[in-house]
Amino acid sequence: MAILENAFRRRDLHDPSIISFIFGNTWMAPLWLIARLYLGYQWLLSGWGKVYGDSRWIAVDGQDGQSLRSFWERAVTVEGGRGQIRYDWYRDFLQFMIDHEWYTWMAWVIALGEVAVGLGLIVGLFTGIAALAGATMNFNFLLAGSASTNPVMFIIAVLVLLGWKVAGWIGLDRWVLPLLGTPWQPGPALTEPLSRAPLHRREPSPG
Amino acid sequence: MEKALVLLLGVAAWVGVAALALFVVEYWGDDNQVLAFIPILVAVVIAWAIGEAVTQRVFTPQEEGE
Repeated sequence: MAILENAFRRRDLHDPSIISFIFGNTWMAPLWLIARLYLGYQWLLSGWGKVYGDSRWIAVDGQDGQSLRSFWERAVTVEGGRGQIRYDWYRDFLQFMIDHEWYTWMAWVIALGEVAVGLGLIVGLFTGIAALAGATMNFNFLLAGSASTNPVMFIIAVLVLLGWKVAGWIGLDRWVLPLLGTPWQPGPALTEPLSRAPLHRREPSPG
Repeated sequence: MEKALVLLLGVAAWVGVAALALFVVEYWGDDNQVLAFIPILVAVVIAWAIGEAVTQRVFTPQEEGE
């Protein structure tokens, strides 16, 4: 019992200063901006083609999501005892979605989600959440056996996610995050009455 | 009134960035991603400068620990 108490006694382990600097210092914001814009453009490019244009996934004549259905069907196909998907549970999951025609609405989720992630990263709004959503989509594409740009985008998304505090500093997060705060520390927009303007008017400094 | 105008300007600047990004994607697409990157980066810098130079004079975001 004493061993457990000693092992799990509360300790605060601090990051090395270089890690704190990279992921938490606003001087690094320009670097994160470049990463964010690259990632955002890739998602916007990918998502916009699914939302608008001749090869779009949604709002088409007939049933939506036929392209997604084809992608899933290719992914679950097993030829010669070997398929694109290495995990049986993920193949079963895709097969379940095909059988229940989930591609009709998942096409909307993916297409609009990619556009939202792209725009969120470009304007720096909820950058951490956008990066997490992007990484989740990359992860699913990778599980389905589609490599393409997904590994690189996944790595960049994870880095942006780790740098969420400063990644959107040159962006809307500079204004929105202090207003809304975090789930563990709500900001003035959620804790103060509307009459007390959550965006504080700057008082002129004396002298 | 001043606050509303400044807030509107700040929001418009970032909506403009999003609109420009969509425009670039639609008309430039995948042809030259480096060239496509430049107008978006310029738009972001302009929107950021508006935030720092104009919006910040009327509104100031709370700093950590404030």
